[in-house]
Amino acid sequence: MTDEDFDALAAEYVLGTLTSEERDTVEQLAAKDAGYADRIAAWERRLGTLEAMVDPIEPPVELWMRIRASIVEIRPDAALRLPEVVEAVAPREILDDGNVVVLSQRVRRWRMVSTLTGAVAAVLALGIGLSRYQPDMLPTALRPPVRTQIVEVVRQAPPAPVPPAPTPARFVAVLQRDASAPAFLLTVDVDKRTLTVRRVANAPESGKSYELWLVSNKFPGPRSLGLVGGAEFSKPTLASYDPATISDATYAVSLEPAGGSTTGAPTGPVLFTGKLVEAVPPPAP
Amino acid sequence: MLTAPELLWLLAAVAKGDEAAFARLYTATRAKLYGVVIRILRRQDLTDEVIQETYLKIWRSAGQFDPLRAAPISWMVAIARNRAIDIIRRRKETSIEEEPQAMEVATDSPDPLARRELSEELQRLLACIGRLPAERQRLVLLAYYNGYSRERLAAELDTPINTIKTWLRRSLLDVRECLEHD
Repeated sequence: MTDEDFDALAAEYVLGTLTSEERDTVEQLAAKDAGYADRIAAWERRLGTLEAMVDPIEPPVELWMRIRASIVEIRPDAALRLPEVVEAVAPREILDDGNVVVLSQRVRRWRMVSTLTGAVAAVLALGIGLSRYQPDMLPTALRPPVRTQIVEVVRQAPPAPVPPAPTPARFVAVLQRDASAPAFLLTVDVDKRTLTVRRVANAPESGKSYELWLVSNKFPGPRSLGLVGGAEFSKPTLASYDPATISDATYAVSLEPAGGSTTGAPTGPVLFTGKLVEAVPPPAP
Repeated sequence: MLTAPELLWLLAAVAKGDEAAFARLYTATRAKLYGVVIRILRRQDLTDEVIQETYLKIWRSAGQFDPLRAAPISWMVAIARNRAIDIIRRRKETSIEEEPQAMEVATDSPDPLARRELSEELQRLLACIGRLPAERQRLVLLAYYNGYSRERLAAELDTPINTIKTWLRRSLLDVRECLEHD
């Protein structure tokens, strides 16, 4: 294999077009040969800037809880060695507003760049395959536009006013670990802000308690709703939350030491999560 | 998005086991990584898995990040992309497309560049890709952003696979040469 062939292989590995057998070969080569690993790193660096063109998309809120749970008791491998020439700065605030990088203009190149940006736009505009039942997943620019319909009023017979469908007051949530058996059933009356929790799972082992959390984008971290599962039914309180927060939140149960977490955040593994769905569908108009 | 020195600071803290820094790093970068991966996998459940694995890997190996070799966000994106490509190459692409969760949603995306400023490095790369014949530009971009296999690329461009292989190899080497002589 020529040097060019080796490099082209590394390039295609980074680009992603190799078959899985070819990828295995490249990974084995890189594991044995630091120089080859360097080639791959060089291609990652060359192509890596393309990520700036991709629109950010928010992951589901509960993903963070799973990640947190998975790093518990895992220590990082080694400290990062910071070479003197490289700057590291403590961030002052988190900005979630996309990529803005100051640049210097090079007119000679700009003509090339502006024709290519059309090609990039065309590829990115292909859209991504997402279930149409999750429009919130898409960034604002990609969400299907809200359609408003204008209804013609017929003069002769004014239409009878249609009473608005009553908002269903009762919601239920099934808290479970992925697709396995349900562990907790929640019933929520959003207007009255009452919550009943029924434990279906086994009682927690002695020395441990189940604690219920409300997880919402409105708060930086999960909010405890108290211990659940000691008796079969419990009644934690939702009094301090508004109906919108209550109905949109994710509910999660973690396994804590007896008496619950003392830190105000889950310290044990998050075992079950779920969201509210309507218990009583609105009547047909 | 935080700047590179800020991300680097967070990575150094993460490498010391600082969970609060890890949470801040996640907050700052999660949407970018999620956006990159979901384009390739086209399924939320698989994307969730890959993102979870990615951040676990970042937690473990933050100390191995070499700031002289890559930018922090590129390093993180490469980990995520690599895992996503691994998964999609192991599954036959046709089976993913048949599954009901993976529906193509045609969208009217506004020009993604309108509100962005491009880094010097990215401009140079785009200029070099821009020198390729139009079909090969599309080839490289579809492969990078959508994670298409050679088979899918051949179908998209209505070109035999062997030609696609040749084009890919040639285009990447041409881009490299262009970047080195810029």
